[in-house]
Amino acid sequence: MIRYILRRVVTMALMLLLISAIVFIIIKLPPGDILTNQIEELRAQGEQVSDAKAQMLMQQYGLDQPGWKQYAIWMGLWPGTDGFNGVLEGNWGWSFEYQRPVSEVLGGALLMTVIVNLATIVFIHLVSIPVAIYTARNRYTATSHAVTFLSYLGIATPNFLLALALLFYFNRWFGISVGGMMDPKYTDAGWSLGKLGSVASHLVVPVVVIGLASTAGMIRRMRANLLDELNKQYTLTAKAKGMPPTRALLKYPFRMALNPFVADIGNLLPSIVSGSVLVSLVLSLPTVGPILLQALKVQDQYLAGFILLFVAALTVAGMLVSDLMLAAIDPRIRLGQGR
Amino acid sequence: MAASFLRLLAGAALAASLCAPAHAQETVIDQPAASAAPQPAPAGTATPATYIEPPMLAEQVSSGKLPAIADRLPRTPLVVDPTENGRTVGRYGGNIRTLATKAGDLKYMTVNGYTRLVGYDEHLKLRPDILQALDNEDDRVFTFTLREGHRWSDGEPFTTDDFRYWWEEVATNADLSPAGPPELMVVDGERPKVEVLDATHVRYSWSKPNPKFLPTLALPSPAFIYSPAHYLKQFHGKFSDLKKLKEMASKQKLASWAGLHNKMDDAYKNANPDMPVLNPWMLATKPPARRFVFQRNPYYHRVDSQGHQLPYIDMVTFDIASGSLFAVKANAGEADLLAGGLNMGDVPVLREGEHMHGYKTLLWPIARGSAVALYPDLTINDPVWRTVLRDVRFRRALSLSLDRKTLNNSLWFGIGTLSNNTVLHESAMFSEDLQTRWANFDPEQANRLLDEMGLKQTEIGGFRSLPDGRELEIIVEVPGDSAEIMDALQIITEFWADIGVKLVLKPQDTTNMRERAYAGQTIMIAGAGLDNAVPTPIMMPAELAPVRQDSMSWPKWGQYFETSGRSGEAPDTPDAKQLMDLYKTWRSTGDEAVKRQAWQDLLRLNVDNQYVIGTVNGTLQPVVIGPHLRNVPEKAVYSWEPTAFFGVYRMDQFYFDDQPASEAAAR
Repeated sequence: MIRYILRRVVTMALMLLLISAIVFIIIKLPPGDILTNQIEELRAQGEQVSDAKAQMLMQQYGLDQPGWKQYAIWMGLWPGTDGFNGVLEGNWGWSFEYQRPVSEVLGGALLMTVIVNLATIVFIHLVSIPVAIYTARNRYTATSHAVTFLSYLGIATPNFLLALALLFYFNRWFGISVGGMMDPKYTDAGWSLGKLGSVASHLVVPVVVIGLASTAGMIRRMRANLLDELNKQYTLTAKAKGMPPTRALLKYPFRMALNPFVADIGNLLPSIVSGSVLVSLVLSLPTVGPILLQALKVQDQYLAGFILLFVAALTVAGMLVSDLMLAAIDPRIRLGQGR
Repeated sequence: MAASFLRLLAGAALAASLCAPAHAQETVIDQPAASAAPQPAPAGTATPATYIEPPMLAEQVSSGKLPAIADRLPRTPLVVDPTENGRTVGRYGGNIRTLATKAGDLKYMTVNGYTRLVGYDEHLKLRPDILQALDNEDDRVFTFTLREGHRWSDGEPFTTDDFRYWWEEVATNADLSPAGPPELMVVDGERPKVEVLDATHVRYSWSKPNPKFLPTLALPSPAFIYSPAHYLKQFHGKFSDLKKLKEMASKQKLASWAGLHNKMDDAYKNANPDMPVLNPWMLATKPPARRFVFQRNPYYHRVDSQGHQLPYIDMVTFDIASGSLFAVKANAGEADLLAGGLNMGDVPVLREGEHMHGYKTLLWPIARGSAVALYPDLTINDPVWRTVLRDVRFRRALSLSLDRKTLNNSLWFGIGTLSNNTVLHESAMFSEDLQTRWANFDPEQANRLLDEMGLKQTEIGGFRSLPDGRELEIIVEVPGDSAEIMDALQIITEFWADIGVKLVLKPQDTTNMRERAYAGQTIMIAGAGLDNAVPTPIMMPAELAPVRQDSMSWPKWGQYFETSGRSGEAPDTPDAKQLMDLYKTWRSTGDEAVKRQAWQDLLRLNVDNQYVIGTVNGTLQPVVIGPHLRNVPEKAVYSWEPTAFFGVYRMDQFYFDDQPASEAAAR
C-alpha cells in the first residue's frame, strides 16, 4: 500500500513538472505578451506610447529574456533577480496585471471560490440523491416523468442565460443587489450578521445556476445506476427474505451505485477552485474563474500559469484520493495486483 | 449575451424609447474667436468674500487635523459661476456610485476629474485651470503663473519646484526617461530652456513655435510636466539611500530604483493612494479591492461664486463588476452616474428600469468621425495593389457604392447620420459638403469609375480583375473583438459585390493586425473613424495628414515622419505632399486664422480623396444619471478627445439635490 502511494506520488510530481512546462508554453504561444497587450489597450483609447518606453518596461518586467529562461526563473530552476525563488521554493510568482505577488491576488478569491463551490456541491448532492432514489423506485409515475423532464431541461439550459434572468428577477422581487457576493454596502465592512445574511442571499443564484446542470446530470446517472442494481439477484433476495424496502435499498444497491461518484472526486477538487468560470464572470463573482480568464486574455503569464498548475495539482491529487477511497469502500478493488 | 437576453425582454419598448431624444435640440460647440492663448477666467466672477466649510471636513477642521478652508485654498482660487452655463449653484454632500470592470479603469477618474494646467471648457476654449495665468508669445515662449498658496492633496505646497523637479530629475534623467523628455517638450530635436523665475513663475522657451505644447497639457490623458517633488524624492536615487531603494525595488519585482520611482509616480492611473494629486477627488482605497472610494481633495483649487469649495460631492465609489452586468445593475438603480461600458443595445433595458428607480438615461452623440470606417493602405508593398489603391477613382467608387442608409437602419436604429469620416455637425468647421461629398449612394457612377480605371469584369455579374489578372479581392482586416464593425462589413460585402468588388473579412488580433499594417502587408483595415470629430483649430490635425504610423491609411508615411526619416517611406504622391505642407503650415504658426484655414483645407482634401471611407456617425452613448444628480447636461457630445468624457462638463460641479428630478420640476 505504502509503496503504491509512494510510486503514485513520484509519478505525480513528474507529471506536474511536465504540465507546468506545457502550460507555460501554451500561455506564451499567442503573439505578444502582457506589455504589448497593455500598450495596445492604451493606444486603442487614443493614448500615445513611445516604443522606447515600451522597451524600458520590457526590461523592467524581465520580458526581454528568452522564454525558457522566464519559465525556469518562475519555477525556481534558474536564478532570477533575487536568486532561486520560484514555485519550487514556495513563491508563486508575480502578477503584472495586478502589480503584486500571485499569492496576494489569489488569497481573497480562493476563499470566495471555495465557499461558492462547496455550497454548490452540497446543493447538488442534497437535491440529486433523494430525487434520484425517488425516481428510481417510482418508475413510470407522473411525478417521475415530470422530474425526468425537468432534469433534461436543466441539462439543456445555458446557465449564463439562466443566471441573468435570475439576477434580474431576484432584484425585482427580493431587492437583492445585482451580482457580486454581497450587497455593495458590506464590501468594506467587517463580518457581521448582516453581512453573513447578505452573502447567504447572494449565494442562492450562483449556487442554483452553477449546480443546476450537474444536479440534473447527477439525477440521471444515479437513477440509471440504481435501476441496474435494483434488478439484480441480491436485491431480490433481500426483498424475498423480508428486509424492509428502505433498508433493502440503502444497505446494498445504493452503496453499489455510489462507486462512480467516488471515482468522480478527482474531478470535483479542481472544480472547487476553478469551476464555473463563465457563470462567475456573468454574475461578477470575486472568484478565481474571472481572474484566470482575465489573466489568460492579457497574458499575465505567471498568474495564469500558477492557477492552471494549481488546478492540475488538485486534479492529480484528487485522482489519487478517489483511487484510495474506492479501494477502501469497495472490497472488490485491490491495489497493485494484476501486474 | 447579457444584452441580448434583456433586449428580448424589452424589445417592444425599443422604438418608443429611442424616438424622443432623436428630436432633442442640438448643441453646437462654439469656436474660439480669439488667439490660441488661453483666455483668462471670465471677468465678473468675483472671489467670494467668505468660504463655506464642507460638512464632511468640519470635524477634522475643528479637531485641528485640517486647516480651515480659507487656509487650504490658494490665495486666488479659480472661481466658477455655474449659472453662467445654465446650471445651478449646488450643495455639499453625497456619494456618486458608479461601476468599473477592473482597477485599471480608475484612470477614468483622472480623465473625468479633468484638472489640468490649462483645460478646455464646455465650449472647447482653452483656459488656465491649475495655472492662475499664462503668457504665450507666438507659441514659442510660455510663462506660467501658479496660484500662490496652492497645495497638493496632502497639504504640501505646490510650487514651481515641482516643475523643476520633473524637468531636471525626471524628464531629463537617463535612468527614469531613457528615451528622453516626452514629445511635447521637443521641437525638431530642440529641448526648451526652462527657467524657474520664482516660487510661482516658470518659463519654457523654444526658438521655434511649439503649438502642440498647450493642447497636449489639456488632453484627456495629459502630459504631466510637474511632479510632487516632496513625495517622489524618497524614491529617487539622487535623494535617497541607493541600497534601501534597491531593497524596496526588488520587493516589488523591479530591477532598479528607476522602476520604483516610475511606479510610484502615478499621476494618471490612480493605482497609488499615497501619491499626492491636484484632482477634485483622491483615491482613499489601497488596491487590491472590490470597491474603490475616492474622497474630496480638501485642498482643491476651485470654488463656486457663493464660496463653496468644489467638488460639491464628497465621494465617488467604484464597484468592480463584470461589464455584462452594467446595464442590469443600472436598471436596478445601482449607479448614479454611468456611461462607459454601456452602448446603444442597452437602451431598452435602461429605459425599462427608469420609472421604477427614477434614474434617467440621457443619449449623447458620440464624437467620432465615423462609427465604422475603412482604411485603404496607400503604402502597401504589393505594387499592383498600390497603384489601384492610390487611384482616387477607386476609393471614390468604393464610397459611392455604400448604401449608408441601410447600414444605419440595420445597425443603429436609423439614428446615426450618413456621413464621410469627418467632423460632426456640432463642430463649427462642419459643412454639408464635408459630410456628403462622394458619400451619396450611386452604384452606377461607382461602376463607371471602375470601368474607367480598366478594372474589367470577366463575366457579367462576376468580380472584377486587377490589372495583372488576379481577382479583385479586398481582404479587410478587423480587430476580432469588435462585433459592430464585423456586422457592418457583412453588409458592405453585399454592396461591393454589386460593383464587382469582392470583400473578404479577416478578423485579427489587434497587435498582429497593426504589425502587418506597419509592414505594408494589409490591403485594407476597418476600425472607427476620427478620434476627435469636434476639433478646434488649435488642436493637432494629426489624423488628417501622414504623420502617424498608427493612421492605417498610410502607416509607412507616418513612420517616416515619426522617425524623422530613419524608417518608413517619404510621401511621394502630390496629394500626400500637399497634406504634409498643410500640416507644416499648421505647426509653424501661432496665428489662429491660418491654423483654421489649414484645418479646413485638410478636412476638405481628406474627404475629396477618400483616404478613409466613412459610413455613419453621430451614434448615441447612453448616460445613466441618478434621480437626485444635478448639473449634468441633458445633451452633450460624448468623446474621449477633446471632451474627456465628463471632463469639460466639469464633474466637480455635479451635485445631489434632496428631491428626485421629477418632483423638483413640479415644484
